[in-house]
Amino acid sequence: MSEFFLELFTEEMPPSLQNNAKIEFLEILKNFLDEKKISYNKLYYSISTPNRLIFYFKDIVEEFEKKTEEIRGPRVDANKESLEGFLKSKNISKKKIFMKKTSKGEFYFYKIPSTKVSTKKILQENMPFLLQRIKWKKSMKWGNYELSWGRPLKSILCLFNGTSLNFVFYHLKSSNKTFINKDDEIKTRTFKNFVSYKNYFKQAGVIVDDRERKLSIKKNLEKISKTKNFNLNINLKLLDEITNIVEKPKVILCSFNKKFLEIPREVIQLTIENHQKFFPISDKKNNLLNYFFSVIDKEDKFGLIKKGNESVVDARLTDAEYFWKKNKSQSMLKYVSKLENVNYFNGLGNYLDKTKRLKNLCSVISDELLISKEKLELASTIAKVDLLFDLVNEFPELQGVLGGYFAESQGFEKEVCLAVSEHYLPSGLNSRTPKNNYSIALSLSDKLDALVGFFGLDLVPTSSKDPYALRRMAIGLIKLIIENKKSFKLKEMIDYSCQLYNNQSINFDRKSVHTNLSIFIIDRLKNYMKEKGIRLDIIESSLIDFDLNNIFVIFTKADRLNKIIKKQVGIDLIENYKRAFNILNSETQLQNEDYKGSADPALFKSNFEKDLFKKIHDIRKNFTSINLENDYDSQLSLLASLKKEVENFFDNVIVNDNDVVIKKNRLELLKMLCNTFDKYFNFEKIEFLNEKAGI
Amino acid sequence: MVSKKTKKLITFQETIFNLQNYWSNHGCLILQPYDVEVGAGTFHPATTLRSLGPEKWKAAYVQPSRRPSDGRYGENPNRLQHYYQFQVLIKPSPENIKKLFLDSLSSIGIDKNVHDIRFIEDDWESPTLGAAGLGWEVWCDGMEITQFTYFQQMAGVQCSPVSVELTYGLERICMFVQEKSNVFDILWNKNGTLYKDIYKENEKQFSKYNFELANIDYLFNAFESLEKEAKNLLLNELPLPAYDHSLKASHVFNILDSRGAISTAQRAGYISRIRDLVKQVGLKWLEEKK
Repeated sequence: MSEFFLELFTEEMPPSLQNNAKIEFLEILKNFLDEKKISYNKLYYSISTPNRLIFYFKDIVEEFEKKTEEIRGPRVDANKESLEGFLKSKNISKKKIFMKKTSKGEFYFYKIPSTKVSTKKILQENMPFLLQRIKWKKSMKWGNYELSWGRPLKSILCLFNGTSLNFVFYHLKSSNKTFINKDDEIKTRTFKNFVSYKNYFKQAGVIVDDRERKLSIKKNLEKISKTKNFNLNINLKLLDEITNIVEKPKVILCSFNKKFLEIPREVIQLTIENHQKFFPISDKKNNLLNYFFSVIDKEDKFGLIKKGNESVVDARLTDAEYFWKKNKSQSMLKYVSKLENVNYFNGLGNYLDKTKRLKNLCSVISDELLISKEKLELASTIAKVDLLFDLVNEFPELQGVLGGYFAESQGFEKEVCLAVSEHYLPSGLNSRTPKNNYSIALSLSDKLDALVGFFGLDLVPTSSKDPYALRRMAIGLIKLIIENKKSFKLKEMIDYSCQLYNNQSINFDRKSVHTNLSIFIIDRLKNYMKEKGIRLDIIESSLIDFDLNNIFVIFTKADRLNKIIKKQVGIDLIENYKRAFNILNSETQLQNEDYKGSADPALFKSNFEKDLFKKIHDIRKNFTSINLENDYDSQLSLLASLKKEVENFFDNVIVNDNDVVIKKNRLELLKMLCNTFDKYFNFEKIEFLNEKAGI
Repeated sequence: MVSKKTKKLITFQETIFNLQNYWSNHGCLILQPYDVEVGAGTFHPATTLRSLGPEKWKAAYVQPSRRPSDGRYGENPNRLQHYYQFQVLIKPSPENIKKLFLDSLSSIGIDKNVHDIRFIEDDWESPTLGAAGLGWEVWCDGMEITQFTYFQQMAGVQCSPVSVELTYGLERICMFVQEKSNVFDILWNKNGTLYKDIYKENEKQFSKYNFELANIDYLFNAFESLEKEAKNLLLNELPLPAYDHSLKASHVFNILDSRGAISTAQRAGYISRIRDLVKQVGLKWLEEKK
C-alpha cells in the first residue's frame, strides 16, 4: 500500500483559483483511480498555501489487474500491409490473432491477456494529461513557455511510495524536491513522504493545511476579543480569503484615529474589510470601535508591520473623511437639477427624468399606504442625488446608504432619510427587506420604474444572462409586498409607470410590457415560494388564477395550505375535493357537457344529497362573512368540515343514476362543491397522495 | 533591532537612483520619461510597443503620470493629479523575476525580512490600450507599493513571449520608507527640499484647471482633431507619431472626464475610439518591424 503526494508550487495563487484547482484536481485524480479500479483509502484530500497546491492519497494498491481486452484490427479483406502494421504496432505474431464477424464486417481481433499493471507506472503516464484537465477560470502564460496556468507554475513534487514519480509536464519535470522558501525559489529540499514534508514546514512556521490555518486565525481572533471584551462578528468570507493569502498567520490588534468614527460606519467597515482585508471590531453594544484585527504573514518583531497597517487605514480614512466633509455640506436639494447630467440608461433618460417618474409613482403609493405625500415626494426627489457625490464614487456599493447619511446631516426628517438609505433594498433573495412605509414606497417605485423601463426596451433577461439585475429587482418587489403584508395595485401602477415614460416621450408597447412583466413576476414568485419550502403542486395551483394585484394573498393562501396539507384537516379537505372532482372530470369528458354548479333541490331523492347541499350553502355563507375574509386557516377548516357530508354522499348515493335528469342534478351538486373550493383557489393540480381506490 | 543609526533615510531622488542602478545592473536599458502626457508608465512606447513582437527587451524608466480626476488642490495628503512611477519591462519574463523584484526593494529601504510583503490578486486591464494582464498588487504592511503584471494582451494583440511589468509607486514607497503621513512632506534631496516645495503649487493650479477651467468645447474639438491626425498618420504608415496623437487624445479625454463633461453613456464610446487607434498603431508597428 502506497501514498501518493503531489505538490504544485506556483507564484502566489489567488484564493479563488486555489480553491477551484484544489477541488477540481482532487476530483480528477479520484475519478482516474476509480476508472482504473485502483483502490485507495477514502481519507484523501487536497490542501493549499498561496504557493502550494497539495494532493494526498494513501493506501493505494501498488499493482492492479488490467482485465483482458479485445482490440479490433484491420478488416479480413484489407491489404496485407495493414495487417502487418497492426501486428507490428501490438508487437505480436500472427498466431495471436483471430477473425470475428461484426455488424460492420469481418475483422481480425487481438485479445490482450489480463496483466498486472504497476499503479506508479500508470500514474506516471497519465499525470500530464490529468493536469491538463484542470479548467482555470482565468489562466495565463509567462516567459517563453506554452503552458497556461492560474499563476506561473515553478515546480512539481510528486511522490509515490516514497520515491519520486517522474513525468514531464510542458517545460517542467517532476521530482521529489520542492522550493522551501516561497520568496527565493532557489533552495530546494528532498522529501520522502508527506509526514516529513508537513513536519518540515511546521518547524519553519508554515501551516500547509489551510483548514488548520483557518482554525488558528479564528482561535486567535477569539482569544484577543475575549480579553478585550470585543464583540467579534467574523466575516467568514473574509476569513476564507485571508486564510488563502498567508502561510504563517499571526493576528495583531491595531487601531486608527478615533476622530474617524464620525465618518459613516459603512465607509469605515468597507475600507477596513474590502480594501485592506482587516477585521473591523465593535463593542458589546455593536458600536464600531477604532480598532481592527490584522492577520499578518510574519512575526512583527519590531512592530513595524502594525505601524504600517495602521497608517494605511489612517490614510484611507483621511481620504474618505475629506469627501465626507465636503459632500455633507453640499445641499442635496440644490444638486437635484444636476442629475440631468447623469445618464440613467440609454433610452430611459437621465437621472433627473428618473427622479421625476419616481416622484409621481410615489405620490400614487402614498395614497395607498396613507402616508404623507409631501415627505415621500421629498424622499424621492433626493434619493438619487448621492450619485453625484465623490464619496459614492469612491464607494459605489454604498449608494443610497450614503444618501441617507447626507440627508440626515442636512436635517431631513428621519423617515425621509431612512427611505433614501433603504431604497435599494432588498437587493436579493437573502437581503433585508425595509419595514418602514416610506422606505417600502420608495423602493417599490424604484424597482417598478426599472422593470417597466427595461421591459419597455425589451431588454428582458435570458436564462443565463441578466445584465441589468432585473431578477433581483423583481424578487425585491415581491419581498417588499409579501414580507410587509401589503396589497398594491401593481397592474394599475405598471400602466401608470408606462404613462410616466410616455410623458417624457419614451413610448412602450404597453400591452407587451404588461404581459411579459406579468410572466416574469410569476416566475420570480414561483422561485420565492420554492425557497420558502412550499410544495410544487401547491405553488402551481395558487398561480392558476394569477393576479398581479394579489401577490400577497396568493402567497399566503399557498403558504397556509402548505402548512396543513399533511395534517388531518389538510387530508380531509383534499379528499373532499378530489372525490367530487374525479367523477365530475371523467363525466365531463364522457358526456362532453358543461356543469355550472346549480343543483335543483327539488330533484334530490335522498337526505344525503340534501345534507350536502345544505352544508355547501352554509359554508358559502360563512366564506363571504367579514370575519373570515382574510382568515385563510379558517377558510381551509371550513372546506375540510365537509368531510361527513361528502363521505355520506359517496357511500350512499350512486351518482350514475339511470334517470339522466337525476344524474345530471347530482353532477351539478358536485360541481357546486368544487366551485366552493375555487373560492380559495383552484385545487385541480394538488396531488392527493392517499387517493382511495374505487370511489 | 533597527537602530536609528543604521537606518539611512532614503530621499525621493535616491529612490530613483537606486532603482535605476539596480535594474541597470540587471541588464535593463535605463530610458528617460516619454515626453507626452500619459496616465501611467505603461503608456510609454518602451512598454506598450516594445511588449509586442518576439524580440527580447529590458528597460526601466521613470514616468511622470497624470490623472486629472485624482487632483485634490494639494489639500489631500495622499492624492495627486501628477505623480511618478518607476517602470520596468522585461520580455520574456525571467524565471526569477519575483526574487529580482523582492531584492530591488531592499535597495530602496524596504527589508522584506521585517515587513509583511504580500502578493494580492490584481488582474489588470486597460480598456484604452486594449491591454490585459494577470498578476498582483504588491502590498507592504498593507500598502500597495507596486503592480506586478504578466502581460497577456497589448493593443488587442496576444503577447508572445510574455513580458513582465513592474510599476513602483514612487511617492507611496517614499512616504512609507521616510515614515511620512503626507505626500508633500517627502524629502526630495538631502538638503531639505521637500516634495511640496516643488509640486504643491502645481497641484493647486492643475486641480483648478482640470475641475473648473478646462474649456470643454475646445477640448472636445481637440479630441476630434487629434483623432483625425492620428488616423491620417496611420494611413501614411507612421505608427509612432500616430501613437503620440492617440496618447494626447487620451489625455484630453481624461481632462474632459475630470471636468464632468463625459456622461456614462458617452464614456465607453470615447474609450473605444482611443482603443481603436492604439490597436491600429500596434498592428502597424508589428508590420513595420517584419
